[in-house]
Amino acid sequence: MNPKKNQIKAIGLDINELRSAVQFEYEGVALNPDQGFHFHTGRKLARIVGYQAHWLEGIPESAIESFAGTGNPFSLGELSPGENVVDVGSGSGLDSLIAAQMTEPDGQVIGVDMTPAMLEKARQSAKEAYLDNVSFRQGFGEELPVEDGWADVVISNGVLNLMPDKITGLQEMARVLKPEGRLQIGDILVQKEVPNDAKENIELWSG
Amino acid sequence: MTVVMAGFVDFHIAHKIDVFTGAPQEGSAVDYGTLGITFGARRPHATEDWHSELKALNCEIPENQS
Repeated sequence: MNPKKNQIKAIGLDINELRSAVQFEYEGVALNPDQGFHFHTGRKLARIVGYQAHWLEGIPESAIESFAGTGNPFSLGELSPGENVVDVGSGSGLDSLIAAQMTEPDGQVIGVDMTPAMLEKARQSAKEAYLDNVSFRQGFGEELPVEDGWADVVISNGVLNLMPDKITGLQEMARVLKPEGRLQIGDILVQKEVPNDAKENIELWSG
Repeated sequence: MTVVMAGFVDFHIAHKIDVFTGAPQEGSAVDYGTLGITFGARRPHATEDWHSELKALNCEIPENQS
């Protein structure tokens, strides 16, 4: 399979416009995490989704304050030392840094995000935490800048729902995983039917 | 089903949590009953395992992933 050959599809939406809107929203989460969003953020959210206190020890506050996940990938099982991890939509880097702590010293973590402000924040936080087994790359979930079969685990948190083409995003996650590799994902479940006009409303996708 | 179609097996939802109620600008996510979830799956070692999972879901094997 070669998901990069698949045309990115979304219902009546301009992909670039959608990505720009999502970037704008999450640049706000990076630069002004206390401004208030339609989702919880930071330590409060980490508590809601069940992050254990010892996972956050040694993680810079700048990574925690802009946390905006929707689930708890580590609740499916903590990662093991030596495992390679890809964090799709790594944001301010909280999950990548937790993964780096769990997998060090021999495991490597690659965080991928499309928003420059988030990447800058994540890189600075990794430096402050003295974690040298984590790096961050700019890219889209549908075109992960990671080689085939590299990862033991793919994590992601609150990002798949923002991808215009979810099947390609998931195929990319499968591509970068080794055989028997694990997917540990936080996302959303919408319990009521969303009308098509709402699906085509970019404001509802991004905020 | 989308997760399995993309090449995974053993899809399971582990947790559902209300992560939107009470947010500073609570809005449409709550209106649509949106929950935060955590799910897991596995990339099978053998393609046959994936085909079996697709068959169990009564899905056709995508043309570009045979």
